[in-house]
Amino acid sequence: MKLITHNMLTSKCMKGVTVGYPLKIQAVDVKTSEVDFNPEFISRLIPKVDWNVLCEAAESVGFLDDLPRELIENYENDVDFLKKAHRVLLEVDIINGELVCPETGRKFPINNGIPNMLLNEDEV
Amino acid sequence: MSLPTPIYDLKQFDSVYEPSEDTFLFIDALEADLEYIHSLRPSCILEVGSGSGIVITSLARHFQTQCLFFATDINPVACLCTKQTAYLNNVVVHCTNMNLYCNFKSIFDIILFNPPYVCTEDSEIKPGINRSWAGGRDGRIIIDQFLSQLKLFLSDSGVCYMVALKENKPYEIMATMKVLGFNSCIIKERRILGEHLFVIRFIKEGNLK
Repeated sequence: MKLITHNMLTSKCMKGVTVGYPLKIQAVDVKTSEVDFNPEFISRLIPKVDWNVLCEAAESVGFLDDLPRELIENYENDVDFLKKAHRVLLEVDIINGELVCPETGRKFPINNGIPNMLLNEDEV
Repeated sequence: MSLPTPIYDLKQFDSVYEPSEDTFLFIDALEADLEYIHSLRPSCILEVGSGSGIVITSLARHFQTQCLFFATDINPVACLCTKQTAYLNNVVVHCTNMNLYCNFKSIFDIILFNPPYVCTEDSEIKPGINRSWAGGRDGRIIIDQFLSQLKLFLSDSGVCYMVALKENKPYEIMATMKVLGFNSCIIKERRILGEHLFVIRFIKEGNLK
């Protein structure tokens, strides 16, 4: 699971959960894999990202490095910044671990890099 | 512009729907609509119920790094299979095991769904390979769940493509979607082996693109 996916997931469809966001990450196995870098695309993607959630997620798995916690101005022209954003959004990969609902503590396993968000019938 | 069929290998995945006429019709429909898809400059594309993953992978191969690709499936084995299909074709598809799109907070520019459309008893909708085809009464149980929430997950300028069978009453679906604020049209139609298949395109009203 890449951090862009984490940025988009919620547990709000669970019974009794109102926001369910952001999910906490408990990573067991994290790796990075190289993905082709497209600066134009990354700058189009950034406005759709919850930047605070991304930075907290990156920090929680030990990959924040020197990514600025505040979005910088004119980032679309800053290739160095876009590269760092690209790495955190698309290259850091949680292979095994858990996502945790912030309201109920319900755990969702991540195996083989795929989060399992399925709920039991009595949880819907 | 064309969308060649991706490489795939289902050997290790016996509970995954094998690409069939409906799958290829879906890819053909997307191929015919590629110019329109390009005009939307999509950044996030989602396939719900991706199964083997060849539909979303065909788009991922086409758009490469200009776009992100997401897939969901209720069957964990299908998620693994989609991930492998993407890998075999040197692209990345971000897979999550979930029911339809209920765990997403974000909206997508393009949503694809080849639903379980076969008319069955509702009790046939049960875990495993059945979930890939069993659609309950009129084949509409899962289709209606999906469409009733579409507005929440599709961007205002976005577009949704869905496969349907004649028995699903596509014109009735389109009338229902009008009430929910969508304009729809049939972009592809084919009769094969006793099935009359349609690909329907849904666009939010007020989107003039």
